[in-house]
Formats: sequence, C-alpha cells, structure tokens
Amino acid sequence: MHESPDEHALERILGKNEEMAEHNSDHFQRSKTCVFNLMSAPGAGKTTLLEATLRSTKKQFTSAVIEGDMVGDLDADRIKALNVPVYQISTGRSCHLDAQMVGRLLHAESIVATQALFIENVGNLVCPAEFPLGEFRRVVLLSVTEGDDKPIKYPVIFRNCDLVVFTKCDLLEYVNFDLSAAEKNLKALNPKLKTLRVSSKTGDGIDEWINWLNNQMTEYQAQLKNEHHVHHAAH
Amino acid sequence: MHEATIAQSILNIVTDRLKSVGVDACALSVEIVLGEFRNVDPESLSFAFDSMKDLCPATSNCRLDINVINASALCSENAHNYRPVAELAYRCPACDGGIAKMVHGEELDVVNLIIEVANEEKKHARIAG
Repeated sequence: MHESPDEHALERILGKNEEMAEHNSDHFQRSKTCVFNLMSAPGAGKTTLLEATLRSTKKQFTSAVIEGDMVGDLDADRIKALNVPVYQISTGRSCHLDAQMVGRLLHAESIVATQALFIENVGNLVCPAEFPLGEFRRVVLLSVTEGDDKPIKYPVIFRNCDLVVFTKCDLLEYVNFDLSAAEKNLKALNPKLKTLRVSSKTGDGIDEWINWLNNQMTEYQAQLKNEHHVHHAAH
Repeated sequence: MHEATIAQSILNIVTDRLKSVGVDACALSVEIVLGEFRNVDPESLSFAFDSMKDLCPATSNCRLDINVINASALCSENAHNYRPVAELAYRCPACDGGIAKMVHGEELDVVNLIIEVANEEKKHARIAG
C-alpha cells in the first residue's frame, strides 16, 4: 500500500502490523481463502451490503464474515440470521481492526474452510487505512448521503483501496451528491480505481458487485496456482 | 485516534534497541519521519508519546522529534512532479492529472535513535540500522 518508506529508515513504525498481515495472508493462501477488507464511515451500509451479498451468492461460493466493532455484536447477529459463519471482534477502545486481532482467528474452522472471507472493519475513514489485515482486496463504501467531498477529506483510505462502492444510490434523487464529481475526485487520488454504484435496498447494482467479487476470486485462485507452479518448479 | 498505537510502536522499537545495547542504556531522543499522506497527526502523536514514555524508566527522558515530509507525486498525464494538496483536489496544477505514483509523503519510519549508556563515561551512541 504505502509506497514511500524513507531510504534512511531504521525501522518502519507499523512494521509489526505489516509482518502480521503478511503472516495472515500466507495462512489465507494455504487455505485458498480470498479475503475482502470492507471499510467505510459508520452507517455507510457495510452490513446491509453484506446481507444482500450473502443472500445472492449462497450457491456460488462459501462465505464467512469477521465483524469488527468497538462494542456489541448487533452486526454479527444480522449475519448469523443468514446462517453464515460469523466471528465478532470487539475492539474495545480501538477504532480499527489490526492484523493481530484478525490473526487470532486464522485457525477458526469456518475461516479455514471458506472460499470468501469478508472482514467488516470498524466504521471509520481514518484509522483502518493504516492497518492492513492480510486481505487480497480493500473495498471502501461511500454512501451518497455522506457527500461527494469525502475523497478530498479522507484521501489516504481512498488512495489505498481497490474498489469504491457508492451505496444507497436509491437516495440519489433526494440528496445533493454529484456522482461524477465524486468519481473525478477519486480518480485524482487513484487513477486506476474502479467504482460501482449499488442500492442494497432495491438490489440495483448488486449483480455488478457480485461479478466484481467473482472476478477477484478467480484472479486470486489463478495467482495461487501460478505461485504453486513457481514454487514447484523451484524444487 | 490511532496515534496512541503508533506512539506505543515507536516506544517498542526504542526499548527493543535498548535491550540489544545493555541494561544500563536509556534513550535520549528518537527521530521519525512522517509523510503528510499518512493519517497521523503530529501533535496528537507527541501528546500520546509523552503520556506513555514514563511507563518505562529507560524511555522517560526520551524526546520525540517528528520530521514531517511534504507529499510529492508524479502525475498520471505527464509525469509532472507535483505536491498533491486538498485545495486542488490532489490534482496536478499544470495538467489536472491525478497521482500516478507517490514519491514522498507516505513515510512513517524511525530514522535515528540517540541513547546514553550510564556506566561508561556518558557516551552517545547512534544506533545504525
């Protein structure tokens, strides 16, 4: 993610988290688990998008969910109701998940067994950006009720992600959210960034989102296969 | 507010280095570089560091020096080197391009540590990487 370490560095300050994230990523690769880190401001609709996703993909791939919240397990209960394995991480005073917290769940039965793992980070557009967890893809949700200026106000998280999903698009006619301005602001931070528009309520755009997920999972499996071949050839 | 986590990480790096020097070593200062394209507020970080450093006698006199590094990027249109700022929505002032590559501004590293070893005649050591 972050590209410019100082050339005179003695040590990267968040190096321990980066090492843990690598360790998590190695575990996920061994169990062929494709991991998505979902981040957004509180209330952007992460859990609602997850519910819509899990309902629509049951026949396509197996899923498990890690819910990160400061307090309580309200979101986990919603996922449980869909009969999808869910693990709750209560961060207490911490405003983000870190790689060590996720690392404690690496051997959980349903996480080893699943094809897709969705990690719903703590609702926050600042801190989660600094803590990779070992995910394959980072997805940021931006609800149209939040305002199209959010990429300018929170550049770090929008620069360091693979996809931005505009959520609650059924409300576009009621709010002054300029989608093209938001997209332009995002492209300035990350010219290759892909964006999608969804409404979890009406179902609009959910098919495109699920297509994107499927494509990422295919890409992940292909990468694993290539790495396996390289590894095999080396012996 | 993850500055507390970052302050703790800096203190962990300092105490690990002190342990490798010896029991009588204590830290006088630690210098970090902090890119402006990281989500870290220097004032909050200093406050968190100063609140936490007393927990260990070997770091209680340690000063934190923060060098903030301006962001610089190569633009997506013409590879102009420019400083991405919020006022211009992070676009290149010459051609309106976006950030193709971040050259500086994402640093978050310890670059220097000065320690004192008590039992030898007051000696300052720069710990090299």
